Formats: sequence, C-alpha cells, structure tokens
Amino acid sequence: SVPAASETTDLSHLINKLLAAGHADHKYVEFDFLINGQFLRMPLVTHMEMENISTEEVVEIEYVEKYMAPQPEECIFHDDWISSVQATEEWILTGCYDQTARIWSLEGKSIMTIAGHTEVVKDVAWVKQDSLSCLLLSASMDQTVLLWEWNVEKNKVKALHCCRGHAGSVDSIAVDCTRTKFCSGSWDKMLKIWSAVPTDEEDEMEEAANRPRKKQKTEQLGLTRTPLATLSGHTEAVSSVLWSDTEEICSASWDHTIKLWDAETGDLKSTLTGNKVFNSVSYSPLCRRLASGSTDRHIRLWDPRSKDGSLVLLSLTSHTGWVTSVKWSPTHEHQLISGSLDNIVKLWDTRSCKAPLYDLAAHEDKVLCVDWTEAGLLLSGGADNKLYCYRYPATASDVGA
Amino acid sequence: SFFTTSPRHPGVHLLETVSPALTPLPSAPLQDIRNTVGNIPMEWYQDFPHIGYNLEGKKIYKPIRNKDELDMFLEKMENPDYWRTVQDKMTGADIKLTDEQVDLVHRLQKGQFGDVHFNPYEPAVDFFTHEVMIHPVTNRPADKRSFIPSLIEKEKVSKLVHAIKMGWIKPRKPKDDTPTYYDLWAHEDPNSILGRHKMHVPAPKMKLPGHEESYNPPPEYLLSEEEKLAWEQQEPAERKLNFVPQQYRCLRAVPAYSRFIHERFERCLDLYLCPRQRKMRVNVDPEDLIPKLPKPRDLQPFPTTQALVYRGHTSLVRCLSISPSGQWLVSGSDDCTVRFWEVCTARCMKTLPVGGVVKSVAWNPNPTICLVAICVDQSVLLVNPCLGDKLLYGATDQLLESYVAPEEERVQPVQWVTATMEEHSKGVRLVVQHSKAVKQVTWHGKGDYFASVVSDNSNMQVLIHQTSKRWSQNPFRKSKGLVQCVLFHPIRPYFFVATQRYVRVYNLLKQELTKKLMTNCKWVSSMAIHPGGDNIICGSYDSKLAWFDLDLSTRPYQLLRHHKKALRSVAFHKHYPLFASGSDDGTVIVCHGMVYNDLLQNPLLVPVKVLKGHAMTLDLGVLDVLFHPTQPWVFSSGADGTIRLYT
Repeated sequence: SVPAASETTDLSHLINKLLAAGHADHKYVEFDFLINGQFLRMPLVTHMEMENISTEEVVEIEYVEKYMAPQPEECIFHDDWISSVQATEEWILTGCYDQTARIWSLEGKSIMTIAGHTEVVKDVAWVKQDSLSCLLLSASMDQTVLLWEWNVEKNKVKALHCCRGHAGSVDSIAVDCTRTKFCSGSWDKMLKIWSAVPTDEEDEMEEAANRPRKKQKTEQLGLTRTPLATLSGHTEAVSSVLWSDTEEICSASWDHTIKLWDAETGDLKSTLTGNKVFNSVSYSPLCRRLASGSTDRHIRLWDPRSKDGSLVLLSLTSHTGWVTSVKWSPTHEHQLISGSLDNIVKLWDTRSCKAPLYDLAAHEDKVLCVDWTEAGLLLSGGADNKLYCYRYPATASDVGA
Repeated sequence: SFFTTSPRHPGVHLLETVSPALTPLPSAPLQDIRNTVGNIPMEWYQDFPHIGYNLEGKKIYKPIRNKDELDMFLEKMENPDYWRTVQDKMTGADIKLTDEQVDLVHRLQKGQFGDVHFNPYEPAVDFFTHEVMIHPVTNRPADKRSFIPSLIEKEKVSKLVHAIKMGWIKPRKPKDDTPTYYDLWAHEDPNSILGRHKMHVPAPKMKLPGHEESYNPPPEYLLSEEEKLAWEQQEPAERKLNFVPQQYRCLRAVPAYSRFIHERFERCLDLYLCPRQRKMRVNVDPEDLIPKLPKPRDLQPFPTTQALVYRGHTSLVRCLSISPSGQWLVSGSDDCTVRFWEVCTARCMKTLPVGGVVKSVAWNPNPTICLVAICVDQSVLLVNPCLGDKLLYGATDQLLESYVAPEEERVQPVQWVTATMEEHSKGVRLVVQHSKAVKQVTWHGKGDYFASVVSDNSNMQVLIHQTSKRWSQNPFRKSKGLVQCVLFHPIRPYFFVATQRYVRVYNLLKQELTKKLMTNCKWVSSMAIHPGGDNIICGSYDSKLAWFDLDLSTRPYQLLRHHKKALRSVAFHKHYPLFASGSDDGTVIVCHGMVYNDLLQNPLLVPVKVLKGHAMTLDLGVLDVLFHPTQPWVFSSGADGTIRLYT
C-alpha cells in the first residue's frame, strides 16, 4: 500500500528504491503511472475520486518510463508560410505559400527548391525514394497536382506530370501504401484518384481546345494527367484525405463529415458525422483510430469501423484555437501531435485526455502543419515561416507493474 | 270499554206502515189498477197512450186529459181540495189526500217522526259500565298460550336471524351525531352585493377634537408668539393645525367659527372623493411577463469564439464581402487598398491599391461569375480577383470582353470605362464613373445587375447598372430623402431603398412603390434581408435594430436595443437562422432569428452571443459584419484595421 496523497514523483522514488534493491547497477529513472489506462496526473486520492474508484479496492498501478520531452533540433526558415510538411528518414519536404515546395536535409540545409506552381502550394507528399531519384507530389491552389522526379545525385528536379481536373484549390493529397496511386481532395468538393506511376504518355484533356493558353503553360510543366476516378459526395470543400487501408480512402470535409470510400469501386462506405468543420484527419494503423482536428478546440478520436456513424470515442481538449493539423505517431499507438491556431503544438497521449504530455510552444504564429516520422522526429510549420524540428525519443517499451 | 246504544230510527217503520195506506185507494177493491211495470222511470211511457200494465196484463190507459190551461185555472180557483190533490204517476190518476196523510206530510216537513206515538227521549239503559271493575266480567282462566313462547314469533325471529346472518338485512348505521353545516358563501360571486360588502371601505373619519380645539385649552397647547409667526409663514397645506388654539373666558364668549362653511365643504369633498372600492391590483410576477425564450445552448450552432484575425490593413476596414463559395474574403479599407483573403488561414492572397478610400465592396453572388464591385471615390470598379477556379474567372473575363457596344450612343447617367492595361493587370476590368462620390454598391442575386448609391441630394442618388450591357439607369424621378443604402430582394423583383427614417419597397417590374416601412429610428445605417425575402432588419445610428416582417406590418415587428452605441452594419446568414449586428461599441451581437414557414407563427428572435475582440479606435468599433455563406461563422471588420472571424 502507498499513501493516498502520493504523487507521481513519490511513486517514482518508491519504484526506484525497489528496483535498486533488486539490481545493484540501477540508475534513477523517472516513471509515469497508469491506473486503468489513465495517466496519473494528480495526487492519487484525487485521481481516484475523479475516476470513482473506491479506496477500499485494490488498485493496480502500471508504471512506464516517463516520456522524455521532445528536444528541439532545428529551426528552418522559409520565405513564406509553410502550408505542409512531410519528412522521410533523410529529407524534409515542405510546401510553402511562396508557390514552391522545398526539400531540406534533416540538418536544416536547403537542398532543393521546386518552383512550378502558379499559386500557393497546399500539400506535399513523397511517393517513392531511391538512392538515385525520388518521386514527389505537390498540390497547389492553382488546381493542379504536380508529380516531380528529383534526381538526388545531380540534384535536379523535373516535373513529370501535371494532374489536372480539379476545379478548385487542391488542399490535400495522400499516397497509398503501394506507392502507385494517390488521392487528392479539393475545395471543389471532389476526391480524385490518380496514378502515381510516371509514364511517357499524355492523357487527353477533354477541353484542351477551349483553353490553348493554359495548355501551353502546362506543357512546360510536364505531361497532363487525368484522374483515374472521381469520388463525389461531399457537399463542402474536402480538407484532408488519407488512405486508411490499401483500398480505403478517408476524407474529412467542411460539411462536418468524415467519409470512408472504397478506392476500388469508388463507393461510399460509411460516414462519420461531426458538428464542426474538419480541418485535418489522421489514421493510426496501430490503434485503428481516426483523429480529427476541427474548427473548435477539440481533437476527436473516432472508430472508422463503427457503423452507427457519429461515435466520438474521446475528445482531447486543451487547445484554445482551431486544430489545423493532427498526426498520429507512426510507432506508438497512444501518441499523437496536433497543431493549432493558438500557435502551440501539443503532444498527446490518449491515456491522458485531459492534458497533453507536452506543449511545444515555439511558434509565433498559427501552426498549419505537423508531421511525425518513424525516426521519431516531430515537425511543425506555421504562419511564422518557421519549421521546427524536435527529436522525440519515444520509449516504446512499456514496463509492467 | 263500553257501548252505547242509540234508539232505532223510526223512518223504516214509517214507510212500511204508510205506503200500503197510500196506494190502495178507496175504490181499489173494486178495480185494482196496480201497475206492473216495476220501478222504471215513467218517462219511458211518455209517448204511449198507456202507462203500463195491470195484473191481468191489460194496458192501463192514461186518463183522458182534456183540460186546458183555463180549466186548470178554474179548477184551482174553484176546487177547495185542489191543494190536497196529487197525481199518481204510476196510474196517472188524481188522488185526493186524506187528513191523516196531510198530517203525516206536515210532520215530515217539520222534521218530526212520522209515528205520532214514538218518543225519541226515552231513558237509556247502561248494559256495560265505563268504570273498570275489580272482578272480571267472566271468570274464565287465562289461556295456556299466553304463558308459553309463541311458535310463530319464534319462526319470525329465526327468519330475521337468518336474514341478518346472510347479510340480507343490514344493521342500522350508527347515527352520526356531528351536525352538518353548509357554507352559504362558498360559491359567492364577489361582484354580488355580499361581495361588495366585503370590499366595503368605510368613509374616512374626522379626527376627534383634542385639547387644542377647546375654548379654554391648557396653556401648553396655546401657541407662543414665535410659533404663531411660524404658523403664519407656513403654507396652509403644511400646517400641523389648521387653526390657532385660542383661550376664551367662558363658552359664551366663543365667537362664531369663521371657517365653518369652508371646513364642512372640505369634509364633503373628502367623502365624495374618497375611493369607496378597493382597487383590484393584479398580482403578477414581473418574471412571468418576460416571454419564454429558449436557451441559447439549444439554438446552436452559432459563432461563439474568435478563431482568426486577418491582419494587414493599416487603417479602418470599412467593408467586407465574401465569395459565394466561402473560400475568399474581400475587404476594403481607408488605407486605399482592397485585400483578398483566404478564409480558412487568414492569409492575404492579394492586395489591390485603388487610390482612394474604399466605401463598399460587393462580391458577385452568382457562383459562376468571379467579379467584385468596389466603390472608390466617384467610381465603381469591377474587379476580377482571379481567385478560385481558373475556368470560372476566365469565363468571367470572356463574358466582360464579349460586350459589343450598341450602334447608337445612349445618354447614361454614368460613364463605363474599360480599364487600362496597367489596371487590367491588377485585375480591374471596368470602371463605372459617377458624377459624385459613391457610397454603396450591391449586387442583384443573379449577378448581372448592381445598384450604387451616390452621395447626392438630387434624384440621382440611386442608380441601377447592368454589367453585361454596360447600361445604367436612374430608377427614380424624385428624391425622397437622403438614401442610406439599397438592397435587392433575393427572389422577387423588389428593390429596397432606405432613407434616414423610412425603408421604401419598390416593385421593379410594375415600377411603383409597394410599401413604406416606418423604422421608428432616427437614422438608418444599414439593412439586410432574410434569404426567404419576407423579413428585413435595419440597423440605425441610434443603436436600435428593427426587424420587419413584410407580411405583417409596415412597422417593426421587434425593436432590439442590445447595443450601447450606433449600429454600423447588420447581416443575415444564408442558411442558418442567424443574424448579426456590429456596432460602434466594438461588439458584434449574434441573434437567433428563426422564421417559420407557418404564416401564423411569428419569428423567434433570441440574442445568443455578444462577440468582443475589436479594439476601439477613434470611437469606432465594428464597421461591418458578414456571415460565411455555408458555415455558422461571422466576420467583423473594425476600426482597428483587423478583420476577425468568429466560429
């Protein structure tokens, strides 16, 4: 038995003493404690009161090594607002409001500036990475998605395809897990599926004759590509798309819904209805949950497989502005980060839904995008033209009690 | 018990004795003419010649009556026995009564017994005495049955017992001794006479005279000189006493009271004016008089918190407009620029310097046209912002370029000028040059026509322009006052013109005034129409917001006084039942304004949220409010140079 008033630090000391007794070479480790899957964030007795656990019962307290705070690594300066970011093990790709996409090394060195769009770049995505050449995508407000080939050795970039067909700004793109297709969501309420495989043939545009001037422009940028399929069903702009499975697309929209689509047939599988505009959605294959950021302060977790449509599993509330971007951890099933208009990036653990694990308050303006790489790098870009990188050594090993 | 015997009545005996003496006449033994018809009414034989039958069965003929009236009279006069002659009805013969018979008749007439020898007063003999004797009349012993219980009674009792046991006979209820009272006044009408008695208010009583009134009051009641002086200086109504106590030697020395008539009159006046009925005061809780409004929580969604601030303007932002899709926002400012913003990120996408204070901007409501009208100084600029769908804004440019000038030049109140190359590169396509400064521009719902308001006192204040034909016209011949703002009806061909105090509704097809709305405000500042088209709201500089139901009345359905300072702008949401007002006090008030399809149900107006955020600059707060076309979001532009989005 432990004193009821003890807090995490007291419990941590207790565990350390016990461990030191067992192993002579034990070093002091700070622990975090879980009671029935909820983090202990206050004295034990108040937590038990909050959770309605009787003091008569035997309570199992699980202890895990305390997650270390993310360590700031780099601050990469851009010329304009950063609309999107996606990083791999070696490079960071950012989309910028100065109509370019940029490739950076992890050390914050500018490697490449990809210019070609005539409007703001809204989203970027890696398609394929080789040691020699990489394929990447950039979506823009000029209603096109460009497929680029980046020759790493020569450090040259070439526009292979210009994906035309949207009638509004393309706000979000997502590449499927086979790396041969991608999906784009646009302000024109449509989702379109495109092939991500570079070819030498140009798709015929239906109304090419009507717009000779426009066509001229696109010829410089690469071969025109038309969509494989169009998914329509949203009644407002689509703000975010992702592949939740090999053949399943999830899209979040301003019409207060998240829709799940069958990419093969183009059918609508199910609809999750919220009551606010969705800005961003993220899916974790580890815990099979969707996290959504909307135009209120909450991050909501959804079960995409629930058929009744509108079941919010959990709300994470700590932001004070719109949540513009959410991203699940690729390695940890409980953790996600979120960026908000209140200039703060928050690191969450779903086991402590009342308060985030860490607040990353480095931005001086709106946070527009966040990313989390498998190597444990947290990235966030915003309207202060800065991209912040944090190293987050997530301890994946849970120590049981 | 005793019996008395009365003497036998002798009448029967009399008849028995007399009637045989009557019937047999002296000639009877010779000729027995007894009639055998029996006891029948003799009238039956009236019409026959005979009168019956004798013992031998022969008819008895009626005696021949040949005497006339004169004979009858003569006989009556001459016959001394006429008075004792009677007719026998059975035989029709005349019979002369004997003296004995006459005597008998006389006695019977006198009420005497017929028998002369009968003594009605014979002494009575008592067979049984009325006194109770000590010895019985008979010496018979008592019956045995009087000593043994009666079997009949036993049977009766057993029947009763059985009936009681079977419950056929209920035992008697115990008698309730409590007396019953009746409330005579329970259902009494309070207006009845008795009710009025209850409400009786007695007449005010006069104060009884005290020591002061005495002719010889104790000295402490007499006024001293100073008190008397003070009494005289007081107003008559303020005086504690309406007389000065005075001392007289004796009662006889008291003079006549000079104010007597006066005081009697006042007393009568008191009685006359005294209320004789208690006023029925209605006991109403003031809380009950407030209409029951639903809670704002139940009326969601509506904007509650500030989400984004659009920074960039360096001076007050006068006007706002939003693209029909809700992706772009345009704002006009006193820093002589028009800025285009991306709504969801507050990114300024374009800045258009226009070289003058921007008074009004209006995005074309037609979703297939990408055009913004901007009021700068004396001109209206039609700007293609080149935002959104490329096809769309390309088509808009083509539409504007496809204009072919008509052959004959028409006289127009304004000049349509195509933009120069330099202006064209900035997005300006057409310039509509007015003669005076333009202060407002608004589009018709179809997006071809727009109206502009010119600061002028003449009839040239309102102009309607057609973009596709580059044609302007002046719809009004006369000026009806200083026009503040104009508005097109969203569905029907109506046109709203707000002057300082009235809103006039014109039918554009019939070209006539349809309605004139009295705003009850001193100076209308702004106006907005419900998307249904039947309700409009007017904001005024005297901090009132008037809601008009056009079907209901020309007076405001409700006047809302929520703001502390002048209202600058009002707006309706396109889909949600929301309207908002921006004021000089720096706040935006969002109200729920539900309009029902049911004509009988009045609109429901509930203020739901006060949105603050704008800093006060130059005593100005919010200058324009605007709703997002699809989301329950409201924009406000302020004198502090910012635009704020509340969600």
